[in-house]
Amino acid sequence: MIKLQKIRDERLKMKNLQNIRTAYILQTIGILGILAYDWITKGIEGMTKNPLWFVFILTAVISAFLSLDISVAHEDSEKSPNKGLIVSLAVLVLISFCIGYLNTLGEELNLKNGFILGGVVFICGLIPILYIYYLRKKSNDEHSDEE
Amino acid sequence: MKNNLKVARVQVNLTQQQLAEKVGVTRQTISLIEKGKYNPTLKLCLEICYAVNKTLDEIFWIERESDKIAKN
Repeated sequence: MIKLQKIRDERLKMKNLQNIRTAYILQTIGILGILAYDWITKGIEGMTKNPLWFVFILTAVISAFLSLDISVAHEDSEKSPNKGLIVSLAVLVLISFCIGYLNTLGEELNLKNGFILGGVVFICGLIPILYIYYLRKKSNDEHSDEE
Repeated sequence: MKNNLKVARVQVNLTQQQLAEKVGVTRQTISLIEKGKYNPTLKLCLEICYAVNKTLDEIFWIERESDKIAKN
């Protein structure tokens, strides 16, 4: 019987991570294949009803958030994170206001829907903006430690 | 990467297995390091140096090719 134990060897840990990556790639291909099949046979609605769609979107969002850490590390500008935060917040408020406003137009005056949609867009945009701010702030602090 | 681990290990009378147990890795990893086929982390390099009573540069230092040519 194979004895299962915690891996302590750094080389095997790395190998293990590489194996997980391979499995993840295959799994994603499988999920995409199933979703593509659903799309062809049942149309877009049938595809999005599949719980695998939720899994796919969730992992895509998580991987996008995790890769933000890498994008921030790539930035080499000295600009302050506060300025970036203010600019992105201003743009976000403008965009969510526009979307909310556009939604109130239409056949009937639909103020509630406009507020809800604008609010959802605002919150969805706010989370990544705050996360990027936090990452930039962190890398800025680490940078200033060096000097 | 080339290194002097094998010589240092034999000098202190350790087998690959014994060294592996001392530093907490598998024998295969030690073997791959000796052959220069695995690039260990600095942490593992230090552990190995402590185990064979050598300094980092005695085991892992290699001169730059251009410096070698300049010396000759």
